[in-house]
Amino acid sequence: MTLLRAAIGAEWIKLWTTRTVWWALVAALVLMAAGSGQYALYANNGDLDDQGTATAGTVAVMALGFAQLAFLALAMLVMTSEFSTGTIRATLSWIPSRGRLLLAKCAVVAAVTFVTGVVAGVAGAAVATSLMDSGGGLDLTTAAKIGLYLALLGVLAVGLGAAFRGPVVTLVVLLMLVVAVPPLLQVPDIAVLNGIADAMPGVAGDHFLRDGSVVGLLILTAWAVAAAVAGRMLLMKKDA
Amino acid sequence: MLITLEKLTKRFGPVTAVDGLDLEIRPGRVTGFLGPNGAGKSTTMRMILGLDRPTSGRALLNGRPYCSYGKPLLKVGSLLEAKAVHPGRTGRNHLLAMARSNGIPARRVDEVLEAVGLTGAARKRSGSYSMGMGQRLGIAGALLGDPPVVILDEPVNGLDPDGVRWIRGLMRGLAAEGRTVFVSSHLLSEMQVTADHLIVIGRGRLIADAPLDEIVAGHASLEDAYYQLTEGTTLR
Ligand SMILES: Nc1ncnc2c1ncn2[C@@H]1O[C@H](COP(=O)(O)OP(=O)(O)O)[C@@H](O)[C@H]1O
Ligand SMILES: [Mg+2]
Repeated sequence: MTLLRAAIGAEWIKLWTTRTVWWALVAALVLMAAGSGQYALYANNGDLDDQGTATAGTVAVMALGFAQLAFLALAMLVMTSEFSTGTIRATLSWIPSRGRLLLAKCAVVAAVTFVTGVVAGVAGAAVATSLMDSGGGLDLTTAAKIGLYLALLGVLAVGLGAAFRGPVVTLVVLLMLVVAVPPLLQVPDIAVLNGIADAMPGVAGDHFLRDGSVVGLLILTAWAVAAAVAGRMLLMKKDA
Repeated sequence: MLITLEKLTKRFGPVTAVDGLDLEIRPGRVTGFLGPNGAGKSTTMRMILGLDRPTSGRALLNGRPYCSYGKPLLKVGSLLEAKAVHPGRTGRNHLLAMARSNGIPARRVDEVLEAVGLTGAARKRSGSYSMGMGQRLGIAGALLGDPPVVILDEPVNGLDPDGVRWIRGLMRGLAAEGRTVFVSSHLLSEMQVTADHLIVIGRGRLIADAPLDEIVAGHASLEDAYYQLTEGTTLR
């Protein structure tokens, strides 16, 4: 336990001592604020699907569609930059247990994406509130859900990074799973394909965010755990 | 502390990089690990540190694999590749994270930075370091845990004469303090002046494991001795 705490401490220092994290977090906040502003104006004009029911919280969730990309990039870089810069050999010589290293990275990423996700959720809702004719207001529940959603996506990204190692392949797979594939599956509007789309992490997470779907949360959690387990297996198996 | 290799073997597909190495590396002296490029020196060191998994055989530190140590930096300091540092992180932050991972107090970071003469550049991003500064940062990391074993892979590569002299003195000093110093090189001249004991390999196989004096005895230089020893084995 103390060894895990030491590993988490080291990963915490590493996270905050490159510029990547700052760029990613600034980008996330900017995207969140801009997206929320845009959707708030759409809501005022009656251009949103959920006509009339839009609140500052739902607007923030919509804006998250853009902002999550910055969080995903941040999370996957925590793992893949080890391989792209060659730091992994140094890191593993300090923390030779690969399982412990992965756990420490997951913990750090989940903590940071949760807290900054909540902040982004609050900020998005605040921007929306300032612009919306109706439906404004602080929505802490939605902000907390956004934090949880991003923490789970963060673990998914770290796990995939450990499995694939390369930043490009990891990002492509992440984007396919979270953003790109579900809409393609949903286009034909066939029950089976829609069902598959519902089981993908992005859509499941979206159901959780919009409707509070517990099933959606469980599916997303299962994806995160599965990615972490797969990442651990491949990290242990392959040479560093 | 003792490094033991037991029939250590590593194959990469058809290439046998390390071929049944059976040896012991003892404390209190500088053990030079000599062989031409591609002989398997780095692969052997990576296996000692648990970075590469042996195809067969084992590498042990006082009877235990590296990975079984919870705070390995207190036992083994190593420098494999100086550039294994995130270029965007400062040298000091790199060492602070490293220290934190093994429960080493932060003040030790400033001590080793001072010891390697990197205090002035400690708060600069390591990507801006020269080859020699990168090497010094790597050495600082190797010394961080005040370890009884120090493993260095080609530490003088790319260093200027001052740096070479400095590393040489450092290694001699560490061995004189009773530590196990295991250092690889493909440079005969370097080994001749640094090592007490030599392990020579070629194509992954052990060619010689003897005190430097013994290997050189009867030859004009280590170079002569080496070519006689390795005749045939290093030609590819
Ligand atoms: N990751 C790897 N994949 C495939 N072959 C490798 C790998 N690492 C080393 N080799 C091969 O193993 C042999 C030994 O390499 P190495 O240990 O780097 O030698 P040295 O350090 O003595 O120069 C070389 O033929 C090299 O090409
Ligand atoms: Mg080498």
